[in-house]
Amino acid sequence: MNQFLLQQGRSEELELFPHIIELGMKKVQTIQLRSFPVKKLTGLHLYYVLDGKFEWSINGNICRLYPSDLAIVLPGQPFGGAKEFLDIGALAWITLDTDLGQWNGLSPTESKSIWKILSLAQMQVVSGFKEGGSLIQTVSKELQQQEIGFSTRINHLLDGLLILIARQLTKQNNSQRDFPQTFMKLEQELRGHLSHQWTVEEMAALVGLGTTAFTEKVKNYTGFSPLNYLINIRISEAIRLLKGTDTNLTDVALDTGFYSSQHFSTTFKKLTGYTPSQFRKNNSSNA
Amino acid sequence: MPNSKHMNTTDCILTIDLGTSAVRIFAFDSNGSIIGAMKGSYPTFHREPDYSEQDPEQIFITVLYVLKNLLNEKIHPGKHKVIAICFSAAMHSVLPVDKKGIPLGNAITWSDNRGKKEAQALKSLALSKTLYDATGTPIHPMSPLIKITWMKDHDKERFHRTDKFLSIKSYIIQQLTGEIVIDYSLASATGLFNIHKFTWEQNALDYAGISAARLPDLVPVFYSPGKLRKEYQTSLGLSPGTKIIVGASDGALATLGAGVWGEGKATITVEQSGAVRVAGKQVLKDEKQRFFNYVLTENYYVSGGPTNNGGVIFEWFTKEFGSFKNAFDLEDSMSDLINEASKIPVGSDGLLFLPYLLGERAPIWNANARGLYFGLNMQHRQQHFTRATIEGILFEIYSIGKTLEEHRAINTLSVNGSFTSYPLWAQMIADIFNKPVHVKNNFDSIGLGAFLLTLTEMGVHTNLEEASRTVEVPAMYKPNKKDHETYMKYFRIFERLSYKLFEDFEELASLQD
Repeated sequence: MNQFLLQQGRSEELELFPHIIELGMKKVQTIQLRSFPVKKLTGLHLYYVLDGKFEWSINGNICRLYPSDLAIVLPGQPFGGAKEFLDIGALAWITLDTDLGQWNGLSPTESKSIWKILSLAQMQVVSGFKEGGSLIQTVSKELQQQEIGFSTRINHLLDGLLILIARQLTKQNNSQRDFPQTFMKLEQELRGHLSHQWTVEEMAALVGLGTTAFTEKVKNYTGFSPLNYLINIRISEAIRLLKGTDTNLTDVALDTGFYSSQHFSTTFKKLTGYTPSQFRKNNSSNA
Repeated sequence: MPNSKHMNTTDCILTIDLGTSAVRIFAFDSNGSIIGAMKGSYPTFHREPDYSEQDPEQIFITVLYVLKNLLNEKIHPGKHKVIAICFSAAMHSVLPVDKKGIPLGNAITWSDNRGKKEAQALKSLALSKTLYDATGTPIHPMSPLIKITWMKDHDKERFHRTDKFLSIKSYIIQQLTGEIVIDYSLASATGLFNIHKFTWEQNALDYAGISAARLPDLVPVFYSPGKLRKEYQTSLGLSPGTKIIVGASDGALATLGAGVWGEGKATITVEQSGAVRVAGKQVLKDEKQRFFNYVLTENYYVSGGPTNNGGVIFEWFTKEFGSFKNAFDLEDSMSDLINEASKIPVGSDGLLFLPYLLGERAPIWNANARGLYFGLNMQHRQQHFTRATIEGILFEIYSIGKTLEEHRAINTLSVNGSFTSYPLWAQMIADIFNKPVHVKNNFDSIGLGAFLLTLTEMGVHTNLEEASRTVEVPAMYKPNKKDHETYMKYFRIFERLSYKLFEDFEELASLQD
């Protein structure tokens, strides 16, 4: 493939695709010092290595990339060459507007899950990702040839790319060999965002399983369905807040993910036999 | 089994086991059959590498949740009446609470190692022997004695705000009934309890810097704290007459529930960690302080040695080297490996494995010990490694059994724990020990032990020994003498290697600091 660079606002090929900020292919034959300094970027950047070996600094982590590896740089993350220059080799990249919902055919829930997976990924390199590379190349081909249906096809390809990245990332980060460990990571995530209205689909997506397999594994491992497990940690956290703080009941309810104090009160009483206010009266350290 | 004098046919007894990672509740009917069982698990947090903590509120909610589900799904629809609830729990946990009984942070569980240095320091004092003799608990970071000592020195603010240091079980019972108690059995694993006098041991209290008032009240295992709080009676649908029995530690009850009571019997447990235990009327005195002596109740001592490196080592091996192509999960992959290993001859064609990946407790008590594959040659394939790994784990368990036999004759073994449910493991234990082996389910044994304890309290059995005789003995694995002789040839090398390498273990450990 030849080198090229398409940029939003400058290249008319992108007029129909306001969400594609940049698309390019570059071959590096000589090293130019300070050609690739670390700086904060806007948009979602996907860099795919075609040839050579690159050493990059992504969000403060030094990553080594080899052919068929894809680097993900999230908006606001500092990115550049580990030694501030671009190594010898070839790469393709695409930069997307982060407002994913604007163009894609993904459902809002799926879109949210994918975004969550991208933003949670500790390892921001997807390795051995040939499918991703060929998707990026197909996007550029479609843009240049503009055959019938190309605008629909390109958006489909971009959806496909995001889905594949999310799947590959969860596979990479969650070993099916070690469900307990995977589950611990999920549990931490749930505890960290208790007020979020979690769905089983979202939880399953985070650990890279289908909902049926996920529900079965959680049930097997914890004895609870995923949603009941979630209620468990919600109520445990609520108990801590009721006992140890003066936080008012509505805030306790909302902080722990109940959508109303009524809902909180009913669930709490069903499980503990006490209403939250009775419980606080009996147990408060400030009483 | 129970008769009509004590129990009606619709009566049932619940046992609640607060285990290392889950609560398990069993319901027994008047014939001693299990009419319902459920579990709910809770996580262990590791904020720092040596820390192991659990959220007391989550444990409590999980108990309520599982209890409620079991009652609503199995007990109430069958028109059963719960007449008693008995508790068992994992040993060595510490939960500091304030004056109002509110937890000051998470509970510290048995596997927490933050007190490594404190344990070392105490071990170097002559006091350590006095304490071991009095309390029966080896000086080790697992014991609440060391955990509280650590807190006194490193978490001063929490130490001073703490009104009482509870166990997880004490906390759950307090939530349900209002009473703050600990049974003799669980107390005997704290390192703070005198197993001869059945009181808190003053020397240990002094060392930890606390008074007896900062611990729960000591009660016998048959003790009934007050009734369930009204709100729980209502929400769970239990009658005010439901008797709560404080119960004992999981280890002691598993021994009782395995029917291992009296001369010539021992239990082997292989879960993540493992233990070999004997029960008897006397404390087992060991000059080298290699064994624990915990009590079930007056004159009933459960003694033995724990290993860190049980099933957890085989799980490690499977995760690192197992194939996951056709396996749905870890369990599948483990069974595949075990199948393959069964095709390799006894002794793994000369490949030996020291399983001390997590350091080791009994019998070598060396936290710096590490693992080793020894005797590799070009003929060894992956299956040899698998078999050698299992043999190494069981050799370590045998070395505990062997030291126990210096004190007690052992004729039969009752083995339990998830790993012994593999026939290959059970047969290997029989062959290595050269003794017949009965296999039981560990969690069933704990539940059954708590059930038998309750029956004894009700007067169905005159004492625990009689109760333990009612336990049915399951199918048996018979030892193969020839294989035993082969294993022993390799075991001698295993044992020599374990001690021979001490200097090298130390040096290697010093490089890791």
